[in-house]
Amino acid sequence: MRPVVVTGLGAVSPFGVGVKPYWAGLAAGACAIRPLTLFDAAAFRCRIAAAVPESPGASPRRSRADGLALGAAGEALDDAGLGRVERREAALIVGAVGGGMLEAEAWYWARAQGERVPSWAAALRSMLPGSHAGTLAHRLGLGGPRHSVVTACSSGAVALAEAAELIADGVVDVALAGGVDAMTRLCFMGFNALKLLDPEPCRPFDRDRRGMSIGEGAAFVVLEAAERAHARGARVYAELAGHGMTTDAFHVTAPQPEGEGMTRAMRAALAVAGLDPRGVGYVNAHGTATPQNDRIEALAIARVFGEGRVLVSSNKSMIGHTMAAAGGLEAVATILALTHELVPPTANLGTPDADVAFDCVPRVAREAAIEHAISNSFGFGGQNVTLLFRRA
Amino acid sequence: MERRAVVVTGVGVVNAAIVGASPALGAWLAAPRPAARVTAHGRPAVRLPEGTLAGLIDPGEARRLSRVCQLTIAAARLATVESGLDPARGLGLVVGSELGDFTSTIAFADGYLARGAAGLSALLFPNTVMNTMAATTAIAVAARELALTLNVPTVAGELAIARGVAAVASGRVDAVLAGGVDEVDPLVEEMLGTLGDRDVRGEGAAFLVLEAESVARARGATTLGRLAGAAWRALPARPWGVGRRSGSRAIEEALAGAALGPPGFVYCSASGDAERDSWEARVLAAALGDATPPAVSLAPLLGQHAGLGALRVAAALWTARAGVLPDDAGGPARRVAGPGLVHGLARGGAHVAVISSAA
Amino acid sequence: MEPKEVFDELKTMLVARLKFDPRRAAEVVEATPLPKGVEDSIGLDSLDFIELSIAIEEKFGIVMDESEDLGAHFASFDTLSRFIAGRLGAA
Repeated sequence: MRPVVVTGLGAVSPFGVGVKPYWAGLAAGACAIRPLTLFDAAAFRCRIAAAVPESPGASPRRSRADGLALGAAGEALDDAGLGRVERREAALIVGAVGGGMLEAEAWYWARAQGERVPSWAAALRSMLPGSHAGTLAHRLGLGGPRHSVVTACSSGAVALAEAAELIADGVVDVALAGGVDAMTRLCFMGFNALKLLDPEPCRPFDRDRRGMSIGEGAAFVVLEAAERAHARGARVYAELAGHGMTTDAFHVTAPQPEGEGMTRAMRAALAVAGLDPRGVGYVNAHGTATPQNDRIEALAIARVFGEGRVLVSSNKSMIGHTMAAAGGLEAVATILALTHELVPPTANLGTPDADVAFDCVPRVAREAAIEHAISNSFGFGGQNVTLLFRRA
Repeated sequence: MERRAVVVTGVGVVNAAIVGASPALGAWLAAPRPAARVTAHGRPAVRLPEGTLAGLIDPGEARRLSRVCQLTIAAARLATVESGLDPARGLGLVVGSELGDFTSTIAFADGYLARGAAGLSALLFPNTVMNTMAATTAIAVAARELALTLNVPTVAGELAIARGVAAVASGRVDAVLAGGVDEVDPLVEEMLGTLGDRDVRGEGAAFLVLEAESVARARGATTLGRLAGAAWRALPARPWGVGRRSGSRAIEEALAGAALGPPGFVYCSASGDAERDSWEARVLAAALGDATPPAVSLAPLLGQHAGLGALRVAAALWTARAGVLPDDAGGPARRVAGPGLVHGLARGGAHVAVISSAA
Repeated sequence: MEPKEVFDELKTMLVARLKFDPRRAAEVVEATPLPKGVEDSIGLDSLDFIELSIAIEEKFGIVMDESEDLGAHFASFDTLSRFIAGRLGAA
């Protein structure tokens, strides 16, 4: 098993294009959840979301999601200083859910209403979640092993774990991995139907939380064999020291009530890193702000690390739940928390839930020099992932 | 890194021609017959006969399961039962699918378009995410380790097997249920027609139980064969396009990992898409040289679907044991020997190679 | 609307929205419990309850507020029918 390090970061978030505005927004505790304008949300109880304000690489022939992905992936590759030859060897792992569904929906909606429908071949070609990988590889010259993973809301984090395994096992020396999702009607409608959306910006870990807010974005990181990164003199942000992937095998939407699968994911990440739980200082939580997730996640974190023993915060209070992008964006936030020695807050947190036995960093970022931090991502179907980062 | 040997201890297949575990697959391979075709949107397709699933899934359980989830669970169960594996000892799951649960996704959208927000089905929504087959199957077979869904055009089944082999070989998990599934949906057929897709599409699921050889032996399991090497790479191509490059690291690495010498036969991914099929033929010729062994794809008999990619791996194990390679164009079977290469190459360049050998 | 009529509508929903076999739906009586895990119940889980509440909102034009604990009303067909009839009567 070879150590794996992070040498490049890229993000397109509801705070804008680039890692810089993303981190600035998180560090300031700003909230990017606003009235939704991408499509008509009038029929729903919740009409707000965290949309990306300007879509990079927007083009009539390219899906919004592909544009988001290209923006974040290109930034990560440039940030890592990877040249053409290195890119040709690089693996590409993309976590995705919605694919280019936003454009395919527009076509299907028009067709259902009997409107004349323009050519839709372009929309269909980029509709499936696996299609981003083809576009990214072709546009960015990535020629290594390539695959696309769908594990619902933990897809982005799984992509990083997959890439880490390819490097650790010696299949490749370098990989680009991350997640992307653009807002879609299906996703917005579905979470509305499940009554899981708060009509106001979400409040993770708050006593009065009422559900999630939906977001969109993309984030990619360049992962590299440590030896190879050092040999080429690359800047190392952090080590991806461990990861765990587990499945509840319990229910298609509800998490296992004791957080059993979540607990196993966190313990598996610690075991891979060879780290005692006391070595971890910060948990970047899945923290969706649904009553159930936050209570059960807090229970699982307490079981692994002990009550109150770590700082816990949720990026979703600021950028919403960005679906397949969430694992990627939250990994970037976790890495930057280590490098900047600053833990992003949980925005909108007024009265902490008594069932959450942790300091959830309410509203204001906290200065803290931390050696190890984890990022949790949990998806429908009980798909649990924990990534463990060690400060470089 | 030290790799553990990976064996197959169970096979489950549910498609228009085969329903059962490895004996059912073997019986069909010994005398392969084409599944009946139907026409949907002017395109021929292979559909599962009505009622096939009714005998495999309990009606109470079926209420909440979409058709493609039922297909997945039925094949996955057949494979786990044949393996005799105890999932409590650690079981992962890798599902390959090209199209996922499109039928439910369309039904979910139609509910809204017909009746507004009140027409949205909370029950259908989880099915709009492509991990729905993995989520329901993980529950059905108690797979509690990693559960991945891999999405790629036409080679998702082969890719799922290769990824499963890597998980077991690396020592991260002792057993993985890996395979592929797709179903034929009328709207999808229309879409594929619009995109110029030339494949005859089929539907079904095939799953294999992959186990570390040491673990399978220790529990006294019957072994159906060994997956001695597996690799996935990508060849340069535009999205949905075929490429020019024919030099493949996937075949090279899978063969190097297996260290069994050149393959005696090939199960390839030819499906009637002439441009892609000839690209694949060039890739195989470049990797295997003049001595390219006999090849078969089975797509003309069963229709292209992600289950077929996984089925080919199980079929290659049968051929390695039986020394018989069936013909998918109505010709006689051929006598072959040695390990087999299962090869998948998709438009867009996704590329998979798996080496199957007798145990 | 009388609880008996509401009950008949709920049985229709079992088939139309919750995908129960019509024969299974025909077997339920007012006393049949709803939640999974209760003896002789129809076996509904959390996701079924959300689907059922959407169907009730659509059919009867009442709003099921999820911040309110409605668990007791969803105990059986009888309790649910009375709850809905009561809400309709109060409107």
